[in-house]
Order: sequence, then structure tokens, then C-alpha cells
Amino acid sequence: MKAVKGRYYFGGVHPRGGKELAQDCPTEVMPLPEEVAVSCAQSLGKPAEPIVKAGQTVKCGELIAKSDGAISSDVFASVSGTVTEIKELTAANGAIESFIFIKSDGKDEKAYLPPLTEPDAEAIKARIRDCGIVGLGGAGFPTAVKVAPKTQVDTLIVNGAECEPYLTCDHRLMLERTDEIVRGARYVARALGVTSIIIGIEVNKPDCIAKFEPYEDIKVVKLAKKYPTGGEKQLAYITTGKRIGHGRLPADYGITVQNVATCFAVCEAVEQGKPLYERVVTVSGKAVKQPKNLWVRVGTPVQSIIDYCGGEVTEQIIEKDLQTVKIDVKNKTATSENLVTEKSTVKKVVQGGPMTGVALADYDCYTHKTTSGILLLNKSEAAAEEPTPCLNCGKCADVCPMHLMPMNTAFYSAAGDFEAAAKYGNTAYCIECGACEYICPAKRPLIQAIRKTKAYLRNKK
Amino acid sequence: MDNSIVISTPPHVKSKRTTRGIMLDVCIALAPAAIAGCVFFGWQALLIILMSVFACVATEFVYFFIANKGFSEKCKNAKAVCLRWTKQFDFTSVVTGLILAMIIPTTDKWYQVLYEVIFGAIFAIAIVKMLFGGTGKNLVNPAAAGRVFMALSFTHLVATSGFVGASFGPISDSSLVFTDATNLAGLLTNGLDIAPSSYLSPLDLLLGTGVSGCIGETCKLAIIIGYVYLCIRGVIKWWQPLLFLVVLGFTAVLLAGFTFDKYTFDIALFLPSVLSGGALFGAVFMMPDYVTSPKGVWGQLLYYVAGAILLALLRHFTRMEVISFVILLMNLVTPLIDKYLIRRPFGYIRQKKHKEGK
Repeated sequence: MKAVKGRYYFGGVHPRGGKELAQDCPTEVMPLPEEVAVSCAQSLGKPAEPIVKAGQTVKCGELIAKSDGAISSDVFASVSGTVTEIKELTAANGAIESFIFIKSDGKDEKAYLPPLTEPDAEAIKARIRDCGIVGLGGAGFPTAVKVAPKTQVDTLIVNGAECEPYLTCDHRLMLERTDEIVRGARYVARALGVTSIIIGIEVNKPDCIAKFEPYEDIKVVKLAKKYPTGGEKQLAYITTGKRIGHGRLPADYGITVQNVATCFAVCEAVEQGKPLYERVVTVSGKAVKQPKNLWVRVGTPVQSIIDYCGGEVTEQIIEKDLQTVKIDVKNKTATSENLVTEKSTVKKVVQGGPMTGVALADYDCYTHKTTSGILLLNKSEAAAEEPTPCLNCGKCADVCPMHLMPMNTAFYSAAGDFEAAAKYGNTAYCIECGACEYICPAKRPLIQAIRKTKAYLRNKK
Repeated sequence: MDNSIVISTPPHVKSKRTTRGIMLDVCIALAPAAIAGCVFFGWQALLIILMSVFACVATEFVYFFIANKGFSEKCKNAKAVCLRWTKQFDFTSVVTGLILAMIIPTTDKWYQVLYEVIFGAIFAIAIVKMLFGGTGKNLVNPAAAGRVFMALSFTHLVATSGFVGASFGPISDSSLVFTDATNLAGLLTNGLDIAPSSYLSPLDLLLGTGVSGCIGETCKLAIIIGYVYLCIRGVIKWWQPLLFLVVLGFTAVLLAGFTFDKYTFDIALFLPSVLSGGALFGAVFMMPDYVTSPKGVWGQLLYYVAGAILLALLRHFTRMEVISFVILLMNLVTPLIDKYLIRRPFGYIRQKKHKEGK
């Protein structure tokens, strides 16, 4: 259907570009890594239980960890080969997760589930659960739980906003796999018994909007180029006008929000029986040589992704103190040259988007199902400035999409009074989009204060 | 891999705006008014502005040097302390100095003003700002407080040319006649019996020609240029000064209409009441001061509307320009507004109160 304009919502920021680096790079399949380390905690909720042992041979797509509990998802081998070991490591976000190391045999033998033809709602739901599909937008909520709501849902919103700067994986996917995304959305709609499908796309992706317009059963909503338009509550408000209350689920309002990458994964799961073991990852930032959009297996080491993209951008530094002296004996002259060293320009390594992602300490990490990007930011991009005193300018409150007062949270939590921080800042509502800290002219660590307050509220319960 | 990699909580990209940048923007916005002041009042005005800025920055530096522990330690490596000071220097004291100089008048005794402004600057920076914790922690606008301190300490700034209360508004220079100079005050004192035409025209008020007053407040056009610049740069919200001025104008018109026997509503008084005195300067440069104004939108609405009504009332009944006092009063109310007007979050669900005894 012809694209319509979305509603206006208060707040939000306009982060400067970053998308231009990788948005014109078509997706390419990354060569198989030699070894992958698949984490068992790939989704929100309880981590999965490993069902393989060291030394066992597995095929690509084989179940290696079984979901445990209601909110949990299955984990699959992303390469074929032998399981070398299962050990607990500290993941990028600081949590201790058990990783299953698989050494690739290079054959890449596939073990898929049988494809479904004309499936009914129950079959689709079962397939989504069996293929371990999680929300690929970032949070990683198991899709199987989302497609089995307690209340009747009538609207499916496909989230194609991709409002985070730098990330272009959804953009490329929407351009290249439009038909699969639409089919996947229809499968989800059939599973839910949904009548209307809405897709929200930001106006900075006019090519994607044009791609989706020919589909008659899909309503395309043009979203303003603003962050965090792709937030679940914001997107639901922009496209349907419904305000999702605090502590309620979108399903309570008859809405389900699914990411475009999730829809694509559902389509592959239903039509090919392919479990979720690979996804598009944007490798971008000004400190990486060749920004790319790659099909990356889950559990690929970050180091090998960076190497495939040409490595880090380096700069030459002339060391003034160190000089090499060349002595020409014949002519009895001596020349001195400054020693030049190559230095990496990387200032920050981010897994995920720059607004909500996790900063990595080194490349010794592995991708997850939810890893949408690997960003290497240089000094001018990564804001690594010392905070200055709060000006009380209120810009954080102006841009807050949830209409909160982050400066109050920061003020009271710095004083250790978390009760007041939660009361005057309404911290419980915060979606941690990071807009407040982005805009802060004093570079205050607001999200840190909010997380501290939230941790206090959690522990109090 | 280099070990200079930074780890932090998200977001990992931030806007380029800094406190220093914003304060520099305010300085740039103040420049037209300052230049206009120098053109109208001569080199004495320039001298006062420079003196005020210098005094403010110097006070901040001295305070930075002597405050906190380890004075003798600091004396030993003074160079490092100076470097640290320049690193954290954010131009707020320059803004304070500029504003303070621009809201005082030049008189015949300009040399007196020149040293009096030093006291104002010391009071504004050392006592009002730094003692409360420096940038962002001051309770009231330092420039307004410094101005009031000066007015109360040096009476000639209040009673120049024999007109009480001219100090905050267009002050009458000895060369200018009473009605011309104190357009607003004269207007309000005489009520509506004198036709507005006998005063300065709104155009004169706008350009500041024939009006004498405070250095930065006379040329309204220059202030409007600064206002437009601030709005374009996103430093202040465009509606805030406008709201203040519109409410002020209408309240003044309404109040002026009341006389003992009859009520006349004369919209012609709107422009003079808005354009005369320090209202415009205060509304653009002093009321929206980040530190001392409320943060939520509703709080800001209340702040500007209440401030405007208060200013109109006080102007009407005291026959003085009292914008500095009004700003101080509203600054003091701001923490209360912030405390009781908490924004309602997006997706707020009204809690149903459970009836007791069920």
C-alpha cells in the first residue's frame, strides 16, 4: 500500500549519520570461521542447557543446547565439525555464560528441519520455537513467547525503523530480501490470527519504502528520522496511536512488534526449516578499513570479522624523541630520521548499535544471535570526554521519549538517595535508549545513573 | 590492540555540543547588544564591559585557586593549577560578566561605575555562584544578584537624575529629559491621561535611539538579533521569551486600563510596555538561564507566565523597572516548581486508589 506518514511523538534526538559508511555495501557471506563459540544465553530469560559433549561431531543447524523454561530459546551449531569444549566465559556484557566451542571441519554440512508447506498457526508456532528464533532487534526476546500471547492480537507491526546510527543490516536485508520478509511477516500474522500488517520504515531509507509499497496487504508507515523511533512503545504509538502502559505488554493492546530480521528468520525457518544460526551483521565505523554488511554465523570470533574487513585503520605517528641516525662513513655525514610508528585509531569497540550496544574491552568475544553490529569508532566518533558539572539545562528531559527527568535521577543517585532518584526521575519507566546522554552538553553519565537506580529497585523487591 | 580503548555504558556516540560551546554561543548572542551599547554610550561602556568580564573571570580563577585543600601545595605548582583551570573553564563567568555589565547604566560618574562593577562581579561569582558549588549549582542568576547587590550598595545607581527606580529601566542620562528617557516609568506614572504619542515611538524604542538606559538594554533590535541566533543554535526555546513578553504586555495593558472612574483598554500600550526597560533583555538572556529555570515544560510555562505577571504587577504599583528582582524571585521559586511539577511519563497509568475497609 502507499506509504503514509506516522504520528509525531515528543522527544528523541537526531544522531549524526554514520549510516553512509555501510549502507551501500551489499551483504556478503563471510567465509566460515575456523572455530566458533556459541553462547548458551542467546535470549532473554534462562540460558539453554548444553546437550552435547566435548568430542561429539555436530552438523550445521543441529541442536546443541536445549531451552530451559518458558522464556528461553534453543541454540544451534553454526558450523559443522567437532565440539572441542564447553566452558564458562565472561561475555561482552559482563555476564558469565557457558560457551560451546565447535571446531569447523570446513564441509559445512547442514542438518535442517523438514520444510513446511501451507502450515497452519500451530505448526508455525511450533516451528518458531523449534528453530530458536529470538527478536533480532537487540533485546533477544524469544519469538515463540511473543507469538503465543494471552490476549487476541489484531495488529502486527514490522519494525524496519533501524533508528540507530551506523547500523545498516536491516536496511540491506529489506532491500535484498524484501519478499522473504513479507512472507515471514505473513507467517507470523497467520500464527497470531492477525488481520493487519504494518511496516514502519524511517524516511532515510526511501529505497526500502519503495520496495514494500507494491505489497497490497502491507501498510507502509513512513517514520520521521529520529532516535528512538524503533523503540517498541514509540513505534506502536507512531503507527497505531496506542500508548502502551507501564508494565503492560504490547499484546495487551492487540499489538505485536517484530523486527524485519526476525520476520526473515521466520520465513527461512518455515520454508527451509533452517534454524537461526546466522544473521546480517554491520561492521562499520571510521576505524575499520572496509565497512561491510556480512552474513555471520552465531559465535564467530570478533577478531576474525575484523580481519575479514581489512582490520583497523592506523595512523602514522612520528615519535619526536626517537630518532634513527644513519651514519655514512664514506662521506663522513650523519642523517637522522624520526621514527615513525603505526598506531591504531580505534578508540571504542562496540557490539550492537552505538546508542545501546556494549563496549568491548578487546576482540576476544563472540557474536550472538542479537549482535546487529560490530563498530570500531575512532576518537572523533567515540565521545570519550570527561564529564563536566551538570548545567541543569533540561535538554535530557526535552529529548526523553518517555517524558522522564533523567537529571533528577543522576542528581539523587550521585547522592546515594535511590528512592528519591526513582521518584523524581520516574526511572522505572526508562527504556534506556540513551537519548538523554547523547544530547547532554556536560557529557554526564546519565545511563549509568539510571542503571544504578534500576539495580537498586530490582534488589529492593 | 591498543590499551587506550575506552569502555563505558552506552551511548557510545554523543552530540558535539558542550557546555563551553553553549556558553560561547551565548557570548556571541550578547555581542550585538554589547556593540550597540558601545556605539550609544561610547568608550566608557566598552570599558565597563571589559572590566566586568575581567573581574568575573579573575574572581573565578582566584576562587578556584584558594578554595579546597592544599593552598600551599597549589602555590608550589601554580602552573599545573592554571592549566587545570583553563581546562575546566567553561565561559560561564564570561557570560555572567557580560550580562552584569549590560544591565548597569553608564552615568556621568562612569569611573565610579567602573570600580563598583568589580564589587558586583565579586559578589556574583564568589558568593552567588562559587560558594554554592560553581557552574550549575547556583540558586539564583549570578548577574541578576550582582546587579541587585550593586543597586542596593551604591545608591547613585538607583537614583540617577532624581528619578527613583530608573536604575533597572531606561535610566535618564542628565542630557535627556525625564519623559523621554524613562518612557515606561513616565507612562505608568501618568496613566492614560497623556497620549502615548507624547512618548517615544515604538520604533525609537526598538532601535534605542533617543532612549537612555542600561548598556545592553537600550537597543532592542540588537537583543532580537541575539535572540534569533540563540534560537537557531538551539540554546533557548523560541517560545519562552515570547511567552514572557506577550503575557507581560497584555497584563500591563490590562492593568494600565484601570483608573478610578473609567476603564479603557488601549492596545497601543502593548509595544511600549514590552519594548521599554530591561524586559526584553531579561526575557532573552536572563530568564532562560539553564541553571535557574525549571526543567519540565509545564514548569517552564508556569515560570514564564508567573514571572511576567509578577513583573507587570510590580511595574504597575512600584513605578520601577524591577526585572532583576523578578528574576531573583522566580529563581528562588524554581526548585519548588521542579519538585512539585514532575512530568507524567509516556504510558502512565493512573493508579486506582484502593478504598479502605473493604
